[in-house]
Order: sequence, then C-alpha cells, then structure tokens
Amino acid sequence: MQLNGSEIIAECLLEQGVDTVFGYPGGAVLNIYDALYKYSDRITHILSSHEQGAAHAADGYARTTGKCGVVIATSGPGATNLVTGIATAFMDSIPMVAITGNVSNDLLARDSFQEVDICGITLPVTKHNFIVKNVNDLANVIRKAFRIAMSGRKGPVLIDIPKDVTGAVCEYTPETPVETAEPVLSEDSEFQAAANAINNAKRPMIYMGGGVVSSDAEKQLLAFAEKTDCPVATSIMGLGGFPSSHRLFMGTIGMHGGYETGKATDNCDLIITVGARFSDRVAGDREKFGKNAAIIQLDIDKAEINKNVRTDYSLVGDLKDTLAKLTEYVDEIKHDEWNAQVNEWAKKSEVTETPESEDYAHPYHIIEAVRALTDDDDIIVTDVGQHQMWVSQKYRFEKPRRWCTSGGLGTMGYGLGAAVGSAAANPGKRVVLFTGDGSFHMNLNELATVRSYDLPIIIVVLNNTVLGMVRQWQKLFYGRRFSQTDPHRKTDFAAVAEAFGVRGMRIKNDDDAEEVLKAAFASKEPVVIDCRISPDENVLPMIPPGKTVDDMITEME
Amino acid sequence: MENKQIISLLAHNHPGVLLRITSLISRRGFNIDSLTASPAGIEGFSRLTVRLSGDDDKVEQFINQMLKIVDVKKAEVLPEESSVAMELILIKVNSDSSNKNDIIALTSTYHASLVNLGERSLTFRASGTPSQIDALIEELSPFGILEMARTGIAALENGDNCLAD
Repeated sequence: MQLNGSEIIAECLLEQGVDTVFGYPGGAVLNIYDALYKYSDRITHILSSHEQGAAHAADGYARTTGKCGVVIATSGPGATNLVTGIATAFMDSIPMVAITGNVSNDLLARDSFQEVDICGITLPVTKHNFIVKNVNDLANVIRKAFRIAMSGRKGPVLIDIPKDVTGAVCEYTPETPVETAEPVLSEDSEFQAAANAINNAKRPMIYMGGGVVSSDAEKQLLAFAEKTDCPVATSIMGLGGFPSSHRLFMGTIGMHGGYETGKATDNCDLIITVGARFSDRVAGDREKFGKNAAIIQLDIDKAEINKNVRTDYSLVGDLKDTLAKLTEYVDEIKHDEWNAQVNEWAKKSEVTETPESEDYAHPYHIIEAVRALTDDDDIIVTDVGQHQMWVSQKYRFEKPRRWCTSGGLGTMGYGLGAAVGSAAANPGKRVVLFTGDGSFHMNLNELATVRSYDLPIIIVVLNNTVLGMVRQWQKLFYGRRFSQTDPHRKTDFAAVAEAFGVRGMRIKNDDDAEEVLKAAFASKEPVVIDCRISPDENVLPMIPPGKTVDDMITEME
Repeated sequence: MENKQIISLLAHNHPGVLLRITSLISRRGFNIDSLTASPAGIEGFSRLTVRLSGDDDKVEQFINQMLKIVDVKKAEVLPEESSVAMELILIKVNSDSSNKNDIIALTSTYHASLVNLGERSLTFRASGTPSQIDALIEELSPFGILEMARTGIAALENGDNCLAD
C-alpha cells in the first residue's frame, strides 16, 4: 500500500509491538505527529514537559518491561535534549529507539533553523544511528534499528529523519519481525575448563550485574548459584536479578557495598562474573580486585572480556544459555564453611541507625517503611546521589525489572522521567520514586506529566537541603570545604507538588513517617512527600575511589 | 609486550563509517600510527588497514571494539611473518648541483625514482615496508627534507587466505 513516511513510521512501530511512545512535538516532526493523531487508537503517546524527561521515560519503560523504549523529538534542541537520556540508556545497555526529525533534505548542511547533526552528536552514545534521506529506505531502517537495539548487548539506536522524508509517499509492505537467537560463541572445552575451576574452588563467589536482568536470566542464575552454593554479590544494576531474601545473597558490591561483599572479593579463590563489567565503582583498584582469585566472566559482549580486569576463563553468549549450559557442567557442591564465613562478615555490615531526632527522619527508616508498604511487584525508581545508594543498600528486591536507576552514567534528574515511563508501562503496579532535593530540582517539571496522565507515582524526596554525595566527598577528601554543595534552598516540595496539581505531603521525622506513607499508599493518586533528613547523613560504608575493602570507611565524624 | 601490529578491517562503505571507526579509536584511547581506507574490491565494502601500538591485550580489545561497530564486518590481525605490508612515500629534498648526484645515487639503493626536479629540490617516489621507508627518510634528512607525504600502510596476508572468507 502507498503510505507517507510518517505513516510508515507508525506502521513499523506497530510491527515491532510498540504500544506506547514518549515524546514532544515540533516543526520537523509535524508530519509524524499528524500520523500519531491518526494512529492514536493503537499507539499511546505520552507528552513530557521536556525531551529529556521523554527519553528517561522511554528508558524506564524499557527497564521495567524488557521491551524497546521509543522516544520522538523534533530537530535541533528537541534532539539535543534527548542526549542525556540516550547516554544514560547507553551506559546501562537499555534498548531504546530514538526518532528525531530533521530539516528537509534541501535544507540540510545549511545551518537551517533548528538544524543540528544529531547523528554526529550521538555517535559515541548510541549502538548505531541512521539518517534516512530517502523514504524508500525508511521501513527497513526502522526494522534494523529495533533489531540492533534489542540484540546482543542491548542499547539505544537513533534514527534521524528529514521532514520531507516524513511526508514523501512510497510503497509499504508489512513485515513480521523474525526473532533470532543469540549464538553461544564459546566452545564446549571452554565450558569444561570453567566448570573444572568451579568444581575445584573452595571459596567461590558470584559477582552479577545488569546483564542478568537484561537477558532475563534470573532463573538460570538461581539454579546455578544453588547448585554451586556460591554466595552472590551484585552491582546496583543487577538488583532484582537475584532474590534479596535468598540465603546466598550478600548484597551490593563496590564503593558502597557491604563489608561482606568486599571481604568475600578479597578472600575468595574464584569470582564468577555474570553480566557485569568491573566498573570503577565496583573494582576500585583493578589490579587488586579479587587478588587471590581466578576470574570467570560470562558476558554477551566479547569486548567486555579483559577490558577492565583480566579474566582466566570467559564464556561469551546470552546469559540464559551460557548459565544453563555451565550449570550442566558443574558438580553439585556445598560450601558450608565459606558461606558461614561470609555470614560472619555480614554481621559487621549491619549498620546501626543514628540516634532519633525530632527534626529529621532517617533515610534507612524511610526506605524500610516504604518496603513494608510495597509488595515484590512494585517498581522502585531512584535519582542519583546518596538516596540512590541508601536504596540500593537497603531496599530488598525480590524480582527483576522492578528497579530503575542510572547506574553507569549517574544521571541526576533521571528519576522522575523514568518513573513516568515505568508507570505508563505498568498500569496497576505501584511505582515509588526515591529522589533527593538536588536531583528533583533538575527535572521536576515532569510533575506536569504525572498529573496530566494521573500516574499514581509516590515520590519520596529525601530532602537534606544539600548536595549530599558531593558534600560527603568534600568532607572526606577536600577538608570540609563545602564548595557549592550547601545551597540550603527553601523549596517546599509539597507546595510545589500542589502547584502542579499533585498532592503534597511532609515527613518531619521518623515518628510521623509510617502514618504519612500509609496515607500516601492508600490514595491511588500521585503524591510528593517532602521528607526532611539531616544534611550530615553519610553513605557508609565507603571504599574510597581506587581502593579496596582494606581501606573501607565505616564511620565518619 | 608493547609492539606494533597490523589489523585489517572490512566495513560496509556507508556514509560516516570512517568517522565511526576513527571516533571509536580516539574515544577508547587506542594509539595508532597509520590508517588507510580504500575500496575493498567487493561491491559495497571498504578495506581499512590500521597499524596499532600496544600489547596483545590492547590488540584483542581493539578488534572486539571494532566488531561492535554495526558496519564493521571483519577485523583481524595480519601476522607480520605471513603478510606483506607496504606504503608509498613522496619526498621532497633540498638539493643543489653540488649534491644532486649523491642524492640520486643514495635513493637508487631504495628503488626510489625521481619524479620531479625543482630549482632547489628533488622529489622522489618510493614504496616499501614501513621500516624501509623510515630508513630512506633517515638517509635523506641530512640534506634537509622540505616536505613529504606517506600513504600509510596497505597490507594483505600471504597465500590464498582472504579477509572476506
């Protein structure tokens, strides 16, 4: 059938099973929005306040559903506003297709109004990008973009489309996407060698990451961990990929990970790395990471092998398949003594709460009070900073795809957009956003979106009136010179919420936390809770950058 | 062990593919001293030859990173002992009547041919392995090199093997 470029875009989105897109209209995407008007019965469009919010929403949609997120923006500033959201998705391997309009072919390369080379700009933060100059190429480029975004190590792909292409007509033939299985690249002998190392290990541990979630390999990981009796540490990206309540679960590893994960890393004789990449926030000292251990790495991305830390065995392929196969090769083993030792270390990790205060609530108390009101299916989103680390330490995740956080890029301002995407993708599920006053100030404009679509998000602002994480570093490493981290802004977030038409509430201290949270959870409406915490609260324990557990800081001031 | 290795890439000659490759080289901090690109002799493909400084880990990482670029189809090390690597140089040397014959005699041992005779200069063309070219430059530098242009390395594996196989 004869369709114009914009209708082809809509048809191709439907081919891919896309039911929701996020975006913001503009001059170069007028044709696309005209098609979205026509297709509005089949494609829901969520309008954000700012394109960055739309990109984070597509990211939250992808993280919580496993599907590819889609975001649409106009040329020029519309496109550049997506960049932080695309880079966030890229660092965390989140599948996303970003569609940008551009000026018409005859205006390209003339510094036309709202023209920008978004392919050039996003080159380092996309898996691939395209500019489609001919409508005849459009359908296949869109199909290819989804294939790239969703295959191998997932990630964002951008398609830039000049305006004339979105209006030009050509023949469109529908196509059903073909699912292609990811190949396992490693040989049987490599599985055998890795299995031998596991069978012979006395003190093995698993270090897992976001790859487990990305490849939906949680069942395979659980079976593997139970058969080999290995304690499990996770990067913050992997949270939910292994049940927190499981006897083998240690918690997060790295800069703000628990004492036991640090001690286990130093004392184990084998680290089995599953879908994780030894980032500097995990392996602070690359040379000393797992210094007494052999390392096995399972990853879908061959370029991750030996990138940061040298491995002794590597298995390349989709984790579902490689884990299942490796599980067949290994013996059923018990490591009672080793696990008892880990549990012994864990006791030291149990942090004592700070004394009660009339003026402040304690972040751990708030997080636990929220946990008591949520069930395992509820979705937790964070921004970036101290609150993010407290949640990653304390919130007990039992299932994958219930957790959105900017792990790799550390994007302040990520949370509200991601919460919007999570809520839009999961009607009926509870979404809780933990944010800080610094992060929330960045992109709270999306409260307008929350209200417009009545997304029942509970927003807990852990408000310490300072930029806590950076301030903590200044305390530790810059002689307490609090350069620009003590703004003590007077923002009343509950009143801000009300101005957007969202219910605002306040938590003054631990005593009224339960009551306020219960009321918030009882309402089916969006709520912002301004929760006062002390500006001097720290994230502990902490392994200073570039160091190991031996240098762990467990107390401050 | 730090050494220089030659890597051949086969890539779709889509617009921007060279940018994708060079941008990745710069982003990941790879240290290259030569990069050439030309049609591969296969419809729709370009062949790139890169000379990279680094240990074996670096080379492995380079190849794995290159293969992540959607348009790059092949990336392989060309083993030094079983491949031929050549480049071409045009080099303009200071010269007057007093040393003209000496220079020409010297360059002939490198199979360099005189392509232009200026009033105060001689321009030669030579081809050879990178080390032969380096040696020629060294021999000529005492006379004063006015300017030069090197093509960078073109390399193929010996025998019947082809990159596209």
